[in-house]
Amino acid sequence: MNSQKRRSGGKLGRPLPMPLVYYAPAFLLYALCAVAGAAPLDEPLKPLPELPKQHPGQVELGRKLFSDPRLSINNTLSCASCHQLQKNGADTRAFSLGFDGQPVSINTPTVLNASLNFRQFWDGRVETLEAQSNVVITSPHEMGSDWNTIVQRITEDADYRAGFSAAYPNAVTKANIQSALASYERTLLTPGSRFDQYLLGDTDILSLEEKYGYQRFKDYGCIACHQGANIGGNMFQKFGVFGDYIADRGNPTVTDQGRFNITGDEADRSVFKVPSLRNVELTAPYFHDGSAPTLERAVDVMFQYQLGRMPSAEDKALIVQFLKTLTGEWKGKP
Amino acid sequence: MIKLSRRVSLLLLGLVAVLLASILIFLYFNSNSEKTATYSESRDLIRLMKQQDAQWENEILKSRVAISHNYDPLVSPMNEMNRLWERFDTMQSDHGRHDSRQWNDAHKAFQQAMQEKTRLVEQFKSHNALLRNSLAFLPTAEDDIQAQLSDLSDLNKLQLQNIATDTYDLLLSALEFAQVTSADKAADIQLGLSKLAVNMQRLPGEFHAPIGILSKHVALILREQPLVNGMLEDIEAVPVADRLDDITNMLNQDQQRVEKIDNKYHFYLLVFSGLLVLLLMWLAFRLIRSFAEINRVNNALQTANDVLEQRVEERTRELRNAQSELLDSARQAGMAEIATNVLHNVGNVLNSVNISADLIARKLRNSKTLGLGKAMQLINGHPDDLGHFLTEDDKGKLLPGYLNQLVGAIAQEQQEMADELGLMSKSVDHIKDIVATQQSYAGANSMTEPLYISELLEDALRMNAGALTRHHVTVIREYSEVPQVMGDKHRLLLILINLISNAKYAMSDLDNRSREMTLGVRVVDNAFLEISVRDDGEGIAPENMTRIFAHGFTTRKEGHGFGLHSCALAAIEMNGHLTAHSDGPGLGALFTLQIPLIAVTENA
Repeated sequence: MNSQKRRSGGKLGRPLPMPLVYYAPAFLLYALCAVAGAAPLDEPLKPLPELPKQHPGQVELGRKLFSDPRLSINNTLSCASCHQLQKNGADTRAFSLGFDGQPVSINTPTVLNASLNFRQFWDGRVETLEAQSNVVITSPHEMGSDWNTIVQRITEDADYRAGFSAAYPNAVTKANIQSALASYERTLLTPGSRFDQYLLGDTDILSLEEKYGYQRFKDYGCIACHQGANIGGNMFQKFGVFGDYIADRGNPTVTDQGRFNITGDEADRSVFKVPSLRNVELTAPYFHDGSAPTLERAVDVMFQYQLGRMPSAEDKALIVQFLKTLTGEWKGKP
Repeated sequence: MIKLSRRVSLLLLGLVAVLLASILIFLYFNSNSEKTATYSESRDLIRLMKQQDAQWENEILKSRVAISHNYDPLVSPMNEMNRLWERFDTMQSDHGRHDSRQWNDAHKAFQQAMQEKTRLVEQFKSHNALLRNSLAFLPTAEDDIQAQLSDLSDLNKLQLQNIATDTYDLLLSALEFAQVTSADKAADIQLGLSKLAVNMQRLPGEFHAPIGILSKHVALILREQPLVNGMLEDIEAVPVADRLDDITNMLNQDQQRVEKIDNKYHFYLLVFSGLLVLLLMWLAFRLIRSFAEINRVNNALQTANDVLEQRVEERTRELRNAQSELLDSARQAGMAEIATNVLHNVGNVLNSVNISADLIARKLRNSKTLGLGKAMQLINGHPDDLGHFLTEDDKGKLLPGYLNQLVGAIAQEQQEMADELGLMSKSVDHIKDIVATQQSYAGANSMTEPLYISELLEDALRMNAGALTRHHVTVIREYSEVPQVMGDKHRLLLILINLISNAKYAMSDLDNRSREMTLGVRVVDNAFLEISVRDDGEGIAPENMTRIFAHGFTTRKEGHGFGLHSCALAAIEMNGHLTAHSDGPGLGALFTLQIPLIAVTENA
């Protein structure tokens, strides 16, 4: 293994003809478009995967729990209070209000397609949806509850008791509640966006402007971070590569330190999880601090601080148009 | 004592069997350790993890050389590895491997390596994304500046060319730096950046932004490229695969140890099985031997049984012979009785013959014919004067009258003798009759023939006639209408003679009372013929009722006890039965013979 690695490493050092590498994807795309009309496109962006197969009883329990305010200590907040499924799976406020009515310190990310993120939370502090619910429920700023209280409350409900004993071998427990919530959240995918249909081979569904927008999206390098099935959500990135956005915005907070709060590594200062761009049209305000009220503003900030580029107004408009093709469907329209 | 020891030995045998079975089970389970079953699965899991690790590194390299712009493949191997590890970990902790320090160390070492690698890959993704972006953008940024430069005409051509060359050199240095990251190239880039900064001052204001962008990106490349390279090296250096190899080695060692133990137990199992087989063979041998023993005893028993049976048969045969002899003797006795009766009767008749003969002889002796002779002498004395004599002489005158009287007397005498002779010949006929009857029964075998019961009864009575007459027995006949039946004449007669004779004897002691014997014949249920002989004699004592048909039982001095016994046998031989009834001593007795009624059809 080691020797193999070393050989590969050696290959890395060898000069490569850059232009060929550079144009290869474009050429491939062109070739594909020409050859197979309805075949899925080989793009850095991928369509949403199928819904995973799960225990229907567990999903149903999760659905009920998701909008059950008994999960918060004072019975005021449910998951759905901040992750408003009828809107965008998130909150329209920059900072959602906790059980005590005080705003929390970070923007609520959407729960839609959250199962595709490689980690949860802006700073990626947990890897699973199960762990995510634990953090939110026990957070003294968010739901402020504790598991003993919750297990007790849920156990007192005969419907829940019946549901849990049917879906799980050992009735109502902390792990089962987390599992049920996560099972439900895994069903919250928004398939059928026009761009997904385009990726699946229906190339006529996008207008010319939108296709140009996608081209600009790739050319300007947005795609360096926003790629994969969730169009983002698979890596960390420093917020403010070219210039210090936080400083420019002012009033830096502990939350603005991002992943540094988790790792303590100076290199992780202001590093956040790259968010998914699916349904981005609907998830305003943007960024971890909700500091960008509009999509256009968010695109501007991205160009200035992340790409270090000055696009033309026309290109920006095209990219925004493209981004609006990423809106998918969940029970009709989210 | 024997029973107790048998029970103890049974208990011991049971204990030994249980012991052997548990040893067998123990060995079996030990030779099939579950660890063996999980070994291959664990090894496969580790192998899969190594595969994922290799794929992960492959994807990292693809991102490094910008073949792939999708970072999902850099996430999924990690997730897959974590998932596999979790399975592996659960499986291992199920088998208590976490108790071992060595295992714990190996696990921790892997987890640390994995964490480190994950951290480095996360950083690599971030930095590589930036680096790739800038590198991709660099030629465009440079082109923008060159295009703008070529549009400038009012500046010094030489200076413009220098600026263009400097910018182009910077681009080349940066691209080269991306391929061969060295301190020299870094210095070149620093120099190029300084030159660009100087040049920017010489150029008009509209150049500041693009040149600024270019230098920012070049600076980013200068900063990020060594970082990314370092990360790649670090990632390479993270010994995830080695740790996995370590675990595989430990698994192998464990497996070898387990296999060694397994082999040991397999060997034990083999030896134990061998012993068991020997034991079984010994038991089988014992069993065969005991079977042989049982067979032998069985045969002996069979032989003994056969001998016994033979003896029983022999005895039975002897008994049967004895019985038939008895029967014969009974029959002979019966025949003797009949003969006695016959002789008796014959004797009686002979008596009357004798008397008749005597009477005739006496008559002949005193016959009046002698007077005739005297008269003839008188006549013969007077041959010449017969007439004179008859008419004149006193004596002669009486002679004719005398002769007349004599004729009458002789005629009467002759009549009387003829009568007497008639009686005698009748008696002789009677004797002939009796003898003929006896002859017709004697020697007859069991053969059924058509007969009238009433005739048979009359024969029997006739054979006893003398005795009955002597004892002044009045015979009352109560015969109902009975058809001609098939029957054994000989046996029936034997029985009837006996019963009549018994009845007669039973009444012999009655002093001054009329003696009555009632004979009855009737049909019962249309199936049996019933013949009854009732007397009003001495009767039968109740204690004798049961023995009355037994062989050798008699109440008479001169009796031999064959009579009723042979009668009962004869009845049974005819499929009938003979019963006796008495109200008690002095109240008479009733003997009833029942035989199946076989009516003679017209054809027969």
